[in-house]
Amino acid sequence: MTSKPTVLDLEKYIDQEVSVKFQGGREVRGILKGFDPLVNVVLDECVETLRDPNDAYRLTDKTRRLGLVVCRGLQVSLVCPNEGLQEIENPFGQQPQI
Amino acid sequence: MFPLSLLTTAKGNPMLIELKNGDTYNGRLVNADSWMNISLQGVICTSKDGDRFWNIAECYIRGNSIKYLRIPDEIIDMVQEEEMPVKDKNKKSFSHRGRGGRVNTTGRGRGRGGRGGRRGEGRGNDGRGGPRGGAR
Amino acid sequence: MASALSEWVDKQISVITCDGRNIVGQLRGFDQVTNVILDECHERVFSMEAGVEQVVHGLYIIRGDNIAVIGELDAELDAKTDLDTVRAEPLKPVVH
Repeated sequence: MTSKPTVLDLEKYIDQEVSVKFQGGREVRGILKGFDPLVNVVLDECVETLRDPNDAYRLTDKTRRLGLVVCRGLQVSLVCPNEGLQEIENPFGQQPQI
Repeated sequence: MFPLSLLTTAKGNPMLIELKNGDTYNGRLVNADSWMNISLQGVICTSKDGDRFWNIAECYIRGNSIKYLRIPDEIIDMVQEEEMPVKDKNKKSFSHRGRGGRVNTTGRGRGRGGRGGRRGEGRGNDGRGGPRGGAR
Repeated sequence: MASALSEWVDKQISVITCDGRNIVGQLRGFDQVTNVILDECHERVFSMEAGVEQVVHGLYIIRGDNIAVIGELDAELDAKTDLDTVRAEPLKPVVH
């Protein structure tokens, strides 16, 4: 069974804005410039979204500019394209369920 | 039944993934590999506290950041249907692997005609690490 | 003592996860890193104020590095136990 090096081919997101979440809770977004099979990722014009200092799981609207960044694949927990990413109202009836 | 084989059988089906950071992702499984890295499509992400929601077109989730996966109950029946014919196939495929019944060497050329060239290509991708799961 | 989980396949087991949850279900499969398939599972939420709340979850794959404890559930003893009368402090998450 042949499969690509990663389950999601990041090639199609080159030069598009992507969001990357890290183990430990940090979140960044930037223009995807490069990647490798280990999901090390190069982001340009990268911006980190800061979290609430009291609650590490709550995002604020504050950001800080990072510029050109290499994200270590081992620490990456999620990668998604920002196109098609939008915050929405609760789409479930009451509770999120499958 | 191996958890990873259940996961690969579940491709194309909706599921709920909770990550270690508490976020949940509801979406259709596109692909999974032997490290449990997955890609999802048509995803709704719910924050840990359950108060914020995002629509995500497609995403890649690293296996080691997953806490658990909730999958539709029907999938387990699908795997059991698949396991029956696969067990018969395995008996035949051993002769394939050995390229005519030879014992599996590490692929260092012990060629037939003494060529010692590039042997071992017939073995497929078993070199990949990860747990034993995923009877392919 | 179980040397592998194979002895418990298709039996009711109780899993305690690293975040302190107790999940009960039928073990369908496992692998070398203790990723586990739990069928027809439900979570038991303990509290001091009310009886045990059982939340039905269905089919789960729980990742091995999230599992703290797996134990075989004594089906007879479990059937005799009236969970509404049980009061217990919830478990705390595992701290490394």
